[in-house]
Amino acid sequence: MEQKLRQEAKALLEQKKIDWIIGFEAGSLKFTTTPLITKDAADTERLVINPFITNNLASFLTEMKGRVAIVAKGCESRSIVSLIQDNKVAREDLVILGVPCPGIIDLAKIERLVGKERDELDDISRDGDKVSVKVNGKKKDFTASDVLFDHCLACELPTPQEYDILLGEERKPSPELKVSGQNIAALKELTSTERWASWEKELSRCIRCYACRNVCPACFCQRCFVEETEPQWVMPMPRWQDNLIFQIIRNIHVAGRCTDCGECERVCPVNIPLRSLTREMYDIVDELFKFKSGMDKDALPLMVHYEQEEAEDLFR
Amino acid sequence: MSKKVNKKDIAQLLKEWSQQFNVLAPSRASGVAEMTEWDGKDTSFLEWYRNTVVPPKASFLPPMEEMFRFRKDEEGYRIEPPSKNGQKQLLFGVRPCDARAMAIVDMTFEDAYKDPYYLEKRRNAVLVGMGCTNPCESCFCTSMGTTPTDSTNVDLMLIDIGDYFLIEEVTAKGKELLAKASGLKEATKSDEAEAEKSKETSYNKVTRKLDTTGIKDRLLESFDDEEFWTKTAAKCISCGICTLLCPTCYCFDINDEMVKGEGARFRNWDSCGFPLYTKMPMENPRSEKWRRVRQKVCHKYEFYPMAFDVIACTGCGRCIRLCPVNWDITQVIESVPQKVKGAK
Repeated sequence: MEQKLRQEAKALLEQKKIDWIIGFEAGSLKFTTTPLITKDAADTERLVINPFITNNLASFLTEMKGRVAIVAKGCESRSIVSLIQDNKVAREDLVILGVPCPGIIDLAKIERLVGKERDELDDISRDGDKVSVKVNGKKKDFTASDVLFDHCLACELPTPQEYDILLGEERKPSPELKVSGQNIAALKELTSTERWASWEKELSRCIRCYACRNVCPACFCQRCFVEETEPQWVMPMPRWQDNLIFQIIRNIHVAGRCTDCGECERVCPVNIPLRSLTREMYDIVDELFKFKSGMDKDALPLMVHYEQEEAEDLFR
Repeated sequence: MSKKVNKKDIAQLLKEWSQQFNVLAPSRASGVAEMTEWDGKDTSFLEWYRNTVVPPKASFLPPMEEMFRFRKDEEGYRIEPPSKNGQKQLLFGVRPCDARAMAIVDMTFEDAYKDPYYLEKRRNAVLVGMGCTNPCESCFCTSMGTTPTDSTNVDLMLIDIGDYFLIEEVTAKGKELLAKASGLKEATKSDEAEAEKSKETSYNKVTRKLDTTGIKDRLLESFDDEEFWTKTAAKCISCGICTLLCPTCYCFDINDEMVKGEGARFRNWDSCGFPLYTKMPMENPRSEKWRRVRQKVCHKYEFYPMAFDVIACTGCGRCIRLCPVNWDITQVIESVPQKVKGAK
């Protein structure tokens, strides 16, 4: 798959069919990849596809100028489709290099399971449903479902629906999707008072780095409401109440656009379980509107149109 | 001869110090590793602690801080000055990279304008350092003027020698702390030798190296190299992780909040990575991402050396570990072009 990707990307750049390629290359830390955004055909030799391609590359699309080839797992393809629906990118400006994805390894889960941090591990390898972790020369085996990201366990689209070139064999979704991560299930058990207290604790840690917003392909506003000063919707001080308002409004803004890629939760430096909010919203959108974002590029975006029969009495 | 303390007696030591100080120690109780008010018993950090995610600067320049309160009446605004905090903090387990970072931040806050909020807390504080035995893959302190066991910027330094910590008395403050402490033992010659060995082992575990020779000049010459900076900034997502959680970044924003005629002025962490940081009524000199990335790099490796003769980076590695896209400052610094003098 990697070889094919490099060939295709190189050819596209050399034949001037694209101006940019966005993919992944090896990162500077163990078990890490990093986005590779380049115009240079020689750089395509560095492109990789492996179990650690965590980022959702679609978040870069709205800032690119020209024609772009983008490496897309299923989740990226959904974000791309959602951006097309919202007229944020044009389909004809994209070459989508589809990657059928078996799920991405969540290093934080492995850290918890083996009691070591990622840089203390010798090796992580995956063979089908088995993931082997080598620590201090000893090998420990896990089933993939124990070490993949929560959002990967809930993945409805491992193989992109929308692509120009598919780089591997199509993969079907797992027959047993686990939509809830640990946190969501636990939160649902709580009373609303307990849940409120739980979010107070979680959001007290927020430092307002806005990484959750900035990695999010669905957060494409040129000016975010948190940056508005007249009126000021939310104070920039990282008080838990303001942090809560920020998260709630962000969540509402991405309703019908969030594809449950899980990036907001992954990048949070202070471990706030943000997917508990976004996944809940995703499920609510599905329940109320029978709408799954990023599945159909010809569908109208959920929040910018309405059907007669949806109207409440007030509007009828 | 130095003193030593059994690791089992750390809780006792912290209890004694708690009588005089607000003791802060590494904790994950909040959900993230940070220096937190010690709970009176937990020393589990001795097992897991490599470094905190939130740097100890948060104890002197908190993420948000009330500067003063104000009230509006018929005659105008009345300002209530902040109550003197007077709190004496003892930070236990500070890593040498972060201690050096505090010394670097001091340079700004005690420069032309003396920042009372920061300096009061800082001058009242005691730093008890703890040498690293297990540096991270992202650490590069040995390239940045310090080492995993450097005692330069702390009051007391603990060096791991197995069941004990050897304690180095660095400052008079530190000496005083130790003089009153019970449960300490005299270190032997072999303890001292063990400490030296431990330091060397730790030093050799820092494998990431960064050559900063001539970096100030290279950055100066590359300032207008838009192509280089655009490429360097391409994958940056303009979040605030690498700045807000950098132990030497100190930028803050000031905000007033008033409800029904009463309010307060706050300051809170801010980041040059945000477009809003330089937004002015008519223009924004750093609206493009590459200009913001350039600012961040140059502030640490060019402007700070120009102003204070020291690079404002201590190699703690947080920006590398925590970056959502693995933007790596060591790779960036290494890739700054060496321009030929006089060439265009």
